Amino acid sequence: MFKRRKSLALAAAATSAVLVASGCSGGGGGEDEGGSKEVTWVINSLPGAWQATSLAGGSVYVIQMLSGILPYTGQWQPDATYEYNMDVLAEEPTLVNEDPDEGPFEWSITLADDAVWSDGEPMTGEDLRVTWMLGTNPEEGYCAGCDPRASTSNDKVESVEVDGKTATFQLKEGLADPEWMGLFDAHSQSGGFYPAHLAEENGWDVDNPDELGEFYAWLHAERPEWSGGPFQIVDGDLENEVVKERNPNWWGEEAPLDRITMPYNTDEGTFVNAFVNGEIDGANPADYSEDVILQLEDVANAEVTVAEGATWEHIDINLNNEQLADVELRRAIFTAIDRDDIANRNFGAGYPDYELKNNHVFGGDSPYYVDHFEGESQGTGDIDEATSILEDAGYELDGDTLTLDGEEIGPFRLRSTDSTVRNTSVQLIQSQLAEIGITANIEMTDDLGGMLSEKEYDIVQFGWSGSPYFTGNANQFWHSESGSNFGGYSNDEVDELAEKAINASDLDSAAEFTNEAMEIIVPEAYVLPIMAEPNYFFANSDRLVNVHDNLQSSYRATYNIGEWDIAG
Amino acid sequence: MSENATPGSARRDPAKKVKDSADRTQLQTIMIRFLRHRPAMISLIVLALIALFAFVGPFFWMWDHTVYREIPSNQPPGGVHPLGTSAAGHDVLGQLMRGAQQTLKVAFTVSLLSTIVGSMWGATAGYYGGRVDAFMMRVVDIFLIVPLLVAAAAIAGNTGAGASWYAIALIIAIFSWATIARVVRGVVLSLREQEFVEAARASGASAPWIIIRHLLPNAAGPIIVAATLLVAIAILAEAGMSFLGLGIQLPDISLGQMIGSARTAVSTRPWLFYPPGVLLVLICLTINFIGDGLRDALDPRQTRVRR
Amino acid sequence: MLVYTVRRIIGAIPVLILASILTFVMIDVSGDPLAEVRMAQPPPSPEVLQQAEERLYLDRSMPERYWLWVTGIGGNGDIGLLQGEFGPSTQGPQYDIGSNIAERLWTTLRLIGAAMVFALGLAIISGVISALRQYSKLDYTLTFVGFLALAMPTFWFAGIMQAAGVKFNQLVGEQVFATIGDGRFRAQGEPLWDQFLNAFAHMALPTIVLMLISFASWSRYQRTSMLEVMNSDYVRLARAKGLRNHTVIRRHALRTALIPLTTVVAIGIAGIIDGAILTEVVFQWRGLGDFFITAVDNNDSYALMGWLLLSGVVVILANLIADLLYAVLDPRIRYE
Repeated sequence: MFKRRKSLALAAAATSAVLVASGCSGGGGGEDEGGSKEVTWVINSLPGAWQATSLAGGSVYVIQMLSGILPYTGQWQPDATYEYNMDVLAEEPTLVNEDPDEGPFEWSITLADDAVWSDGEPMTGEDLRVTWMLGTNPEEGYCAGCDPRASTSNDKVESVEVDGKTATFQLKEGLADPEWMGLFDAHSQSGGFYPAHLAEENGWDVDNPDELGEFYAWLHAERPEWSGGPFQIVDGDLENEVVKERNPNWWGEEAPLDRITMPYNTDEGTFVNAFVNGEIDGANPADYSEDVILQLEDVANAEVTVAEGATWEHIDINLNNEQLADVELRRAIFTAIDRDDIANRNFGAGYPDYELKNNHVFGGDSPYYVDHFEGESQGTGDIDEATSILEDAGYELDGDTLTLDGEEIGPFRLRSTDSTVRNTSVQLIQSQLAEIGITANIEMTDDLGGMLSEKEYDIVQFGWSGSPYFTGNANQFWHSESGSNFGGYSNDEVDELAEKAINASDLDSAAEFTNEAMEIIVPEAYVLPIMAEPNYFFANSDRLVNVHDNLQSSYRATYNIGEWDIAG
Repeated sequence: MSENATPGSARRDPAKKVKDSADRTQLQTIMIRFLRHRPAMISLIVLALIALFAFVGPFFWMWDHTVYREIPSNQPPGGVHPLGTSAAGHDVLGQLMRGAQQTLKVAFTVSLLSTIVGSMWGATAGYYGGRVDAFMMRVVDIFLIVPLLVAAAAIAGNTGAGASWYAIALIIAIFSWATIARVVRGVVLSLREQEFVEAARASGASAPWIIIRHLLPNAAGPIIVAATLLVAIAILAEAGMSFLGLGIQLPDISLGQMIGSARTAVSTRPWLFYPPGVLLVLICLTINFIGDGLRDALDPRQTRVRR
Repeated sequence: MLVYTVRRIIGAIPVLILASILTFVMIDVSGDPLAEVRMAQPPPSPEVLQQAEERLYLDRSMPERYWLWVTGIGGNGDIGLLQGEFGPSTQGPQYDIGSNIAERLWTTLRLIGAAMVFALGLAIISGVISALRQYSKLDYTLTFVGFLALAMPTFWFAGIMQAAGVKFNQLVGEQVFATIGDGRFRAQGEPLWDQFLNAFAHMALPTIVLMLISFASWSRYQRTSMLEVMNSDYVRLARAKGLRNHTVIRRHALRTALIPLTTVVAIGIAGIIDGAILTEVVFQWRGLGDFFITAVDNNDSYALMGWLLLSGVVVILANLIADLLYAVLDPRIRYE
């Protein structure tokens, strides 16, 4: 369908990425016009702004539009390993102190000697410091009027020391950040770092909050003439497309392509025709669309891959409903729901290798993956088991209606947004719950956020997007004081684990705390993860070389745009 | 249209066979003209069959428009599911019946509501004229300006149960009665100066009486034609809204919504794409032909041209 | 006539005001403009959200906001129609509603203009032919084609046209038609002929789609009014006087028969604007139709109000022009 309502969740990708090559390649005749190497790559929606730090600009589309322009310090690779960007960095960033008890948590980043902006000015530690300030909450007092979309990591920083190419970061007292290396990487709030010297050139003093605010607004409103990557933007706008050509001052290996056009296209219904017509060379769409995938697989020169994406669907129960406050009833409901049936009917045709999600935070490929649903009856669709849970808890079937002490259970409001996947899913859930005597009335909404925060649901299906950076997840989903813990779950132990995870000194221990929290959550039958929505990617295999999807990164296929090439 | 049915002819025994065309009542003349309009008659029969399929069909067909766990995914037409199944597990034939039903319900409700409100409004404005007319027609203008989709978005986002068929019908009706009001006002403006209205006024008839008894029946021709065409317009409006995600929402279904969601399935799952599309085009086509036939039948000047 | 025009324009002002209030209320109740932002992951800090609310004046009541939108008194200088400001957008502070509308107006005008000119030309020709050859095979064919065009959902037909365009390209082995975008950045700096080809490739299909919707109904009107005129006494008289058929049709009948069409065309503008919304979506043009859809999606009240104002003015002006044209074309009508 046309409506796309997920742009603001800056989706990186789930930790698992099973790249399934199901495309048919070869055949057809690729043409190369006049020696100039040109590629047209679709961006699946309109970028909201020219940079990604602000609320309006915080989407994967802005990030993809800026591919090859914005320099960043590192990035997750398709195989779920982390790689520092050694074009930009002189050396891997170093942790100076990782124990908050022994003094401030501290690290330093040193940029490469030859790293320069497209105007020839060198990249310095000052660029990092200014980017950090631009991304802080206005309450911190660095940047007036800034509206960073996710300032948590930036706000932890107490001070930044700049010495030429090096910037040293110290966190506030007692704080640690297991994701410290990510502050200026491809997955950060800004997606990289900005040229601080342009503030001065325009007459703004970066240490004056009001003037920094003007710089912030300027960055988001003006098409960047500057670049710190292999390409620079030479033409375009925020409505139609951007055009990129090589950055003459790029110090790394020269990019093979001469020109990249990136049209914004919001309608996947147009992809197949435009591709067959040679108007586009490929895309990494945000939404799964079975028919588009199947059609593209029939096109001779299309390489299509489908794999697990960043967004995962789950069913939540509202604990504020008195009847649903009973954990046995919730367990029975989740047991009656057949996850495999839901996943198969939604994705079976286009992506038969789908896997159910048995860990809310980590994908099957992650080193931190633990199967929290092993031996668990929830999500199996086992009606007999569900019925016996209910009987043990004193529920009775009165005809076709489930009752407790003579009182009818339900009817419950089963809600979701109107997408193909969710529609199928809630209809299946409705018929599954009917089998244990529970009536669920489907009510779709356009305003998911409003509905959730007003708690106007009993059972709801929606999606969260995962990311290789996970440490804030438990806190956001299950902490009793989190604004996103819509169903009102509250457990002191989980609260404590969530806080520990966000403040751990390394990813390993943060993952351990997160897994412990999930171990407590699962038996409570509060959230039932179904599966991650698959994402697909297609490209003209006759022409393009070295182009493939990266589901770990918001950049998707454009993550290595500097290495893209034309065949022949 | 200016000729009026005489009291004498109205009292004639309808059972008696009339041979002489000069003796026919106006209504009979119109009926006969319409019956002779072959495209319109064929269309009427086809439309009746579609309506039968949509409203009676579901009583004889085992699947309705919802998902069933027993229905296998993505089956091409044949066997137990003559029109195939969707990925989720819908029987397409069941969906098609329900879709056609909801579409027809929306379209005819829109037509009925807009015609009643629009013709009363237009006739009143036209009859009184002057300031009343000016004011009432400014109100009409307001509804011609506000875009239908804004209302659709507003209501689709707010009704708890998603947009049901009557909500959609109401939205479209709110923004289509104004056109009817315009048409009727135009006709009434020219009628109100005629002798029979003067006569009624002189004999002390009240304004509502004159409007309902004398003006509206004489404007019936244009009203019926406009109302018929509105049915087709409403169907297409609903389809457009569905395409933009503002129409009837699942689990309920309409033809427009089926077309919208199967737009990418032309070559991969044609059984999802063609049946609702063909049915929708067929409905609109027949309605347009019926409207054409009615226009010809109601307006004697047109059929007389033979060269 | 001048007095009449002025009176009509003044009369239109309350209509616009009431329509804008109606729309404002409807958009306002249709949802929280920041709903999506609140759902973002990780969540933005409360201070940032509060700042966004203040920027959009969401901290004020609905009537206050409407007043602010009109007058701009008490605002931050970015709002107030009377001061030439359209208000802040939910799509971010860098999104300027006024300049966006201005830019996209040109895109849409190109599409609508071309479609209307072709639709009108074809409608007149086919309407006249149909009327002159009433009940002939040609008349039936044209009628059927017209009705078929009237019966197809725009987006459905647009999809078929895209596929047909691609098939045609494959047949001739050259990219004659493009299926997406208006190609504005494609042929810059190239020879004029290439620029023309580029513009044609991108405009052809959407223009045909948009054209066909209006063509169908206009040609029906033209047929009807032509039939009426051909049957009128003065045309019969002209014929009786022995004037050549050709002359009668061109000099007398066609001119008179065009009069009702002007009204229909003017009123049809609203329908074309609706059609343009769907056409722009399917062909990925960034015109006002796309602007409207994006604004609806983002609950962008002030952007929608700006759009409404523009389309309202266009509709009102079109109606006025229709009435004035009527007076010019038909000497029997006088406005005083």
